[in-house]
Amino acid sequence: MTAYILNLLVLISVYAILSTTLNFIIGYAGIFSLAHAVFFGIGGYTAALVAMNVTPEFFVAVPVAMGAAAVTSLLLALPALRVRGEYFVAASLGLQVLAVTLFSEWKSFTGGIGGVIGIPAVELFGYPVYKPWQFLLMSLICLATIIVITRTLVHTSFGRSLKALRDSESAALASGKNITVIKTLSVVLSSSLAAAAGALYAFYMSFINVESFMLDTSVLVMAMVIIGGTATILGPLLGAALLMLIPSALTYLSFLPQTEIGSIQQMVYGMAMVLLMIFRPGGIVSSHPGGSK
Amino acid sequence: MLRKTLFSITFAIGLASAVSVQADGIEIGAVFPLSGPNATYGDIFMSGAELAARHVNEDGVLTGDLNILYEDSQALPQQGVVAMNKLVNVEGVPYVLSAFTGVSKAISTLARRSQTVAVNGGGVGPDLAELGDYFWNVIPLANNEVGALARYAVEDLGHKRFTLVYVDDPLGESILNELEKTLPPLGAELVESHSIAASAQQFSGVAARVRSSNPDVVYVASYGSQQLQIVKQLRDNGVKARIASYSAFSVPELQAQAEAQGALFTTQSIDWDSEDPVTKRFVDDYRAEHNKNPTSYIANYYNAVRVFALLAQALEEQGKEITGANLLAQRKATDTFELVGGEVSFQENGTLLAPIQVLKVDGSGSGKVVSVKAAD
Amino acid sequence: MLFLQLLANGLQVGAIYALTAAGFSLIFGSTKIFHFAHGATFAIAAYLFHFALAGLGLHWTFAVAVAAFSAVLFGVLLDRLMYAPIQRHEGSFFTVFVASFGIGIVVQNLLGSVFGRGFMSVATPLSNSVEVMPGLYLSPLNGLAIVSAIVCFAALHFFLTRTFVGKGLRALSENPELVRMFGLSPRRLSTYAFALGSLLVVPGAIFTAAGTGINPAVGHHVMLISLAATIVGGIGSLRGAACAGLLIGVAENLALWKLGTQWSEAMTFAILFFFIIFKPSGFFGRATVS
Repeated sequence: MTAYILNLLVLISVYAILSTTLNFIIGYAGIFSLAHAVFFGIGGYTAALVAMNVTPEFFVAVPVAMGAAAVTSLLLALPALRVRGEYFVAASLGLQVLAVTLFSEWKSFTGGIGGVIGIPAVELFGYPVYKPWQFLLMSLICLATIIVITRTLVHTSFGRSLKALRDSESAALASGKNITVIKTLSVVLSSSLAAAAGALYAFYMSFINVESFMLDTSVLVMAMVIIGGTATILGPLLGAALLMLIPSALTYLSFLPQTEIGSIQQMVYGMAMVLLMIFRPGGIVSSHPGGSK
Repeated sequence: MLRKTLFSITFAIGLASAVSVQADGIEIGAVFPLSGPNATYGDIFMSGAELAARHVNEDGVLTGDLNILYEDSQALPQQGVVAMNKLVNVEGVPYVLSAFTGVSKAISTLARRSQTVAVNGGGVGPDLAELGDYFWNVIPLANNEVGALARYAVEDLGHKRFTLVYVDDPLGESILNELEKTLPPLGAELVESHSIAASAQQFSGVAARVRSSNPDVVYVASYGSQQLQIVKQLRDNGVKARIASYSAFSVPELQAQAEAQGALFTTQSIDWDSEDPVTKRFVDDYRAEHNKNPTSYIANYYNAVRVFALLAQALEEQGKEITGANLLAQRKATDTFELVGGEVSFQENGTLLAPIQVLKVDGSGSGKVVSVKAAD
Repeated sequence: MLFLQLLANGLQVGAIYALTAAGFSLIFGSTKIFHFAHGATFAIAAYLFHFALAGLGLHWTFAVAVAAFSAVLFGVLLDRLMYAPIQRHEGSFFTVFVASFGIGIVVQNLLGSVFGRGFMSVATPLSNSVEVMPGLYLSPLNGLAIVSAIVCFAALHFFLTRTFVGKGLRALSENPELVRMFGLSPRRLSTYAFALGSLLVVPGAIFTAAGTGINPAVGHHVMLISLAATIVGGIGSLRGAACAGLLIGVAENLALWKLGTQWSEAMTFAILFFFIIFKPSGFFGRATVS
């Protein structure tokens, strides 16, 4: 049983990294991206490739994965960031769908829908980390590091520029800030940190395939941020925990018919999204003054 | 504060499940598609497994009641890994029934690492034979199926030109490889092959291309609701060539589909009228319960559960614990098993070998056998 | 000949896309609600049409009425019970999106539980193709889909330009304040937009039920296409959305001339990406680049 709780906690912390990094661009820069799962995927596939062909060393595989995502996001952000609002949303959605096709077809890199099988356990300075509690500790440290990084950034002048941008782009422009550079940097940072989550995920599951990196995942992470509360530290963590726990909790309701449980899970999950948005449209943790816990 | 709440939620879930687990029987797991577009397979597989469990319990083969815990894979590798994780880590089952090529490949790593036996009775990708000691197949794999169909279509019917429509996943790719390998030596050729995404639903364009390649046989390598859509749209769009497929065609929806009538498909050959007591009891009870003939899928999962019961019985007699490792050792020590379809033995790689039959969809629900080919 | 065949297929698919996309565009343009559950409306209409026809054995005209009624009812109920409360709060673009996506998941699984998760299709001789010239096969459905799309667009055009509510809807997308000044309630107009937009999915849903067949996830693809078409056509332009829908349908099919089907969805979104970057205002829109 402990193993199962550990398993859930690892997954929650991986998704918490994703939601925290997405919150960084949604909450502070006002960039709504539906392509976060793409960088999650690039991270996962790259780490798997490095681990299987070069070394499963954490401090090699994860930085390479982050680098790959950073470069890709830079190439994509430069043209896409020219447009705003719903156009950027649509552009990111287009990107997400294109990436899924590429992930499915580029079989030498991704294995297609069959996926990458038998990813070795990650090593920390040569010591393999595969026991669930070790892995949980490692992913919690990663999560904490990422929270500290984003939080620190938010409180620097870079963060203030971001917020100025979110609240009024024209005002930010008028005050002499280089909008394109600031936006691009924040997207690249967020994508590369999401790739770290992808690497952790690949090592943990020892199997990845395209299904983990589809539009549904992007929406799920988006929902975690919105449901938890944008522009807060705690919100995305809470959102991740909540959305991961709902389906797991439902499998324990033994009176549900076996063949319907999958559908019921999905329905409860969808309904939770609807109700939370109707009754807590600002998220569980609101970002109004005094809210920084 | 919130963290605390979170942990207490998790803890509460833990307690709830601890209560549900404490049955005094013997439990095995199953990772089947119970929701999603392939859920119909889950229902079929389950009916075979449940019948076997009932027979085992009626006969008192084991010291406790045998109980099967089902988890939903939606026929997707990712969901399958999550489900397998739960079965292995939470329920601690020694033996898991698996299905679908993609799912089976995905869970095989977990099976090996946790020394849990995974048994496939539905997926037919040939690489399923090479997933290690802990992965067994109670079903002949696609290399046998494709070979049997090709020999029948070329040698008995004189067809020469094949076109393949295949789903872009491990199963589809393996069928493509097999056709490319099998057809040329027979003097036939694979004229064209069209790969389709697993989620695709629109095939009028593919149908147009298939028609223009003018084949004698269109081989459809898909499953679930997609294969029905392909068959309908091929026929709707004027493709008149003979349709052929593999064991995925043996689902009731397809057997009843108007457009599919006359199509050829293959399954493992089982003589339902056999006098062999295991087969007879299986067929009689299945007919009594469902009022129709069983299909090979149902027999396969019946066999998968029966293999477990036989092995576990032997282990209990020797006073050994029922673990994955002991089950594996016991299987290697056992020469033959009395299963539905007769006495069979596992190959060294954990796969059953069985003759293949070619059937024609005739609206009867199970198809009409037109040819039986010995295993290669 | 293959080219002609693919073009003909593309026109049929494109007609269905055009109608659905116009519905989405109408709702999005006039209410600014990102109605992702538009795909769910499509699925509901398709399933209830099938149920009324095959399950209840009704005449096809009644089945069409059932489908139309259920689609409109679903759209209006969502507007009243879900979107209205969200918009009363701070309801950002994405709050609406998450809720809408959530209801899409609920509907997909509910349909699966109620009507079965497998594939279903309406048995009709209309979907059988005949060879009209060597190598070119057409079914009556091909023609019917295109004709009904034209009829629907003509009716829509008439409604939007000649009726009071129609003019109000067009005004709403331009300037909600103006609408209020003229004594029209934006809330009530929003209901009309949902009713009309949802009604537009019905022909597509019916032709899909009869042609390609349906499963509970049938709305997902159509929704993505509608979204892409709305952007490519230019937000707020019904004409643009319709043209873009047609274009996407044709492009998807013509892509098969040289590429495998697995690339057809990518084709759509490559077009979308291209438009966003090089011509974000779409065919007829007036959007801005920052």
